[in-house]
Amino acid sequence: MSNSATEMLVSATIEFLRSYPPFDRMEPEAMRFLGENARLAYYAKDSVIISPESGAVRVFRILQRGKVQVRQAGELGAVEHSMLTMGPGEGFSISSVMAQRPSTSTYTALSDIFCYELSADDFLVLMQKSPVLNLYCTQSLASLLSQSRQQLQMQFSQHVAEQQTMNSPLAAIIKKEPIAVTPDTPTRQVIELMAGRNIGSMIVVDAEQQPVGIFTQSDVLKRVVLPEASLDDPIHSVMTRDPYTLPFAANAYDAALAMAKHGVRHVLAVDEGGHLKGVVSERDLFSLQRVGLRQIRQTIDSATSIDMLLLASQEVRQLSLNMLAQGVGAEQITQFISALNDTLTRRVIQINLDRHDLYGIEWAWLSFGSEGRDEQTFSTDQDNGIVYICTDIMDREQTQLVLLEFARDVNADLDKCGFPLCSGNIMAGNPALCLTLEEWEEKFDNWIRMPEPQALLNATIFFDFRPLYGKFNLAERMRLTLLRHTRNNPLFLRMLAGNAVSILPPLGKFRDFVTDADPDHPGTIDLKKYGARLFIDAARIFAMAHKVSATNTVQRLRLAAAAMHTPPEEAAAAVDAFNFIQLLRLRHQHSEQAQGREGDNLITPDDLNEVDRRILKEAFRQARKLQQRLKLDYQL
Amino acid sequence: MNWFSRVIGGGKEKRKIVLSAEQRQAIEAWQGLPADDLHRQHNDGRYVIVDVETSGLNMRKDRLISIGAVALVDGRLDVNDAFQVVLRQDQVSTHENILIHGIGGSAQSEGVEPVEALLSFLRYIGKAPLVAYHAFFDQAMIDKAMTEYLGIELDQTWIDLAWVLPVFFHYGTDARMELDDWLRQFEIENILRHNAVSDAYATAKLLQIVIAAGNKKGADSPASFMKIEKSRRWMHESR
Repeated sequence: MSNSATEMLVSATIEFLRSYPPFDRMEPEAMRFLGENARLAYYAKDSVIISPESGAVRVFRILQRGKVQVRQAGELGAVEHSMLTMGPGEGFSISSVMAQRPSTSTYTALSDIFCYELSADDFLVLMQKSPVLNLYCTQSLASLLSQSRQQLQMQFSQHVAEQQTMNSPLAAIIKKEPIAVTPDTPTRQVIELMAGRNIGSMIVVDAEQQPVGIFTQSDVLKRVVLPEASLDDPIHSVMTRDPYTLPFAANAYDAALAMAKHGVRHVLAVDEGGHLKGVVSERDLFSLQRVGLRQIRQTIDSATSIDMLLLASQEVRQLSLNMLAQGVGAEQITQFISALNDTLTRRVIQINLDRHDLYGIEWAWLSFGSEGRDEQTFSTDQDNGIVYICTDIMDREQTQLVLLEFARDVNADLDKCGFPLCSGNIMAGNPALCLTLEEWEEKFDNWIRMPEPQALLNATIFFDFRPLYGKFNLAERMRLTLLRHTRNNPLFLRMLAGNAVSILPPLGKFRDFVTDADPDHPGTIDLKKYGARLFIDAARIFAMAHKVSATNTVQRLRLAAAAMHTPPEEAAAAVDAFNFIQLLRLRHQHSEQAQGREGDNLITPDDLNEVDRRILKEAFRQARKLQQRLKLDYQL
Repeated sequence: MNWFSRVIGGGKEKRKIVLSAEQRQAIEAWQGLPADDLHRQHNDGRYVIVDVETSGLNMRKDRLISIGAVALVDGRLDVNDAFQVVLRQDQVSTHENILIHGIGGSAQSEGVEPVEALLSFLRYIGKAPLVAYHAFFDQAMIDKAMTEYLGIELDQTWIDLAWVLPVFFHYGTDARMELDDWLRQFEIENILRHNAVSDAYATAKLLQIVIAAGNKKGADSPASFMKIEKSRRWMHESR
């Protein structure tokens, strides 16, 4: 009896939804489930349907009639990043319902609305019933992900815009006092002055110092030489009258605009009284543009002093920030930072080689840790060492002394350039880390044969070595020995794996994340210790077990996956997860440093937006997956 | 009287009511239900929105053919909580009448036995307040059938949206607003006009709208709507 009523209303609901994606493609059985379980709700115009304050979202809604406005609160809370209007057939909010979390957006009824409501539990059932909906939601999350990335980019480009001085007032750009002449000055004198001072343009001012004309280098040819004007004529006869002026308080952008609009190369800055204060040339503006990679390399390569290198290291940071703003991935940025830091370190080494006589010694400068893996972030201290060859005719102690003296100078100079000394003394200036090839090999061999806790810890730092300067073949020989030893020593890899899985990803049983691992910083997660390191440690073991000589974690994961016959998409998921964590670290370090704090790795999950939280959670799941693989491989 | 007089009685004579023990029990069970608290919040309980189809508009002479109803539970319309019944007719309604509600001759004569139909309606509504547009008609037709077949006074709370809606929404006209006018006004589509369930569903959407408006103005319970309706009627009648 009453079934016929339900039947009719269910069909009407289904018929309505059928006109909108993804319901137009949804499986009939799933459609039926939706039609039977959706309840119709009404919200008057201007009512708030969902807000971040309204708690976990337990209802999935599909708009039946009317419009809903979605306002996404910005990451920093200050800026409202995006506004979106939804119409009939659109569902919301997928990510919050899936995660059963409060929404980061506010949904307001723009008009009176009717919407179908489905409980979160029913929504999850529906997702299982319907591959079509499942795919749709995944894609919708993916597009949220790209939205979040866009937001991130906006946030950073804003920051970059502040850094770039196109906003700065002309007063800040004009460095030199303007050179000006009076209108009756002979042309010859003006040209001599320009040649003598090496300036491209001369301003002509009246008795009140108000600009009346401009005479430029190109005018010499066009208005004096070719027309055969007399050099004794006063300058006002050949100058361009009424030059373009801007108030002193205008900014570089205004100047650039004026140049483009009026086709002029110079703009004069004047004060309130119209008095000349300075000249801005096109070239001045060009130099404000972002420093490029090539320029930085040139700066580094041509630097002859540590002070110049310090400038370059600041530029490296600025450029990597720009890259972050342009949406370049973490993998590229960290490699890029490492590459430029390599160049910088090499230059520091070269500068010091002028002062130290290492003639006749075969040696190589080694990087360890994050630099050894090409994974440096903004906050990075020194991890380096030296390997050298001591022949029979050489005095080992004497040779080491020479190298140590050199290494300590390099360490000190690197410190000046923004690479703080290593608190653990993992530096080439430490006698324990300035060793002959045989000593290094013996050291490695000892760690592998007697895998005590300290040895295992050392392995995680030193086995990620990479040569930076000198005889690279020494490092290659070290690598061959290392891989041979580890391959013949399954016990060592097993111990290493045991260590690697001893730190669990901070996934909570009840809550999403475990944020109380560090009593000093409640509510935070150390993304280095409990995030990046889980991937790095697992990748190192996979690499050593499968003769992969790469030190970079992403490369290790990719190359080892091939050797392990892991499906490529599985490896890609792990790489994405690692890169996402690295990106969060870069972002966090940058914002910390922007606020004058030392960049740490402690992020607060509650501060992340919904999508980032979900991805982070997934990233930790990937870490757990890698650990499970280790447990399986080594029967832990 | 006996079965014979019932058979030949027919027409407008008062019927003899013969109920089985189970049917009597069902009525008693319904009568024993606790009354609904009419001072509860609108969105904190159940309303049943009712629409009837009849053999005509004469409340005295015409018969109840079909009842359609939907329920608004905690402010939401739940399709699983919907009701429809066609009462078996001894005499099929006129051709013109059939064209209005679309319940054809065979559907009428194959309908549910009226006592069972009305019992299932009682079970469905419980003690929830009933809502309709021009409720007096639905109320009269249902009350009449209840007395005729079950021998009871229904005495259920009714709320008439035709009285309540204009209090919250007025469109500068004193003209009588019909259900279709309101539906147009709020752009509410009716799945199938003059189908009892479809009309009830559309009316229920009007109830959702007027509840939201009422909540804003402090008229937040069934009792407050009843009070509004009473005073409107009084004003109307004393004019």
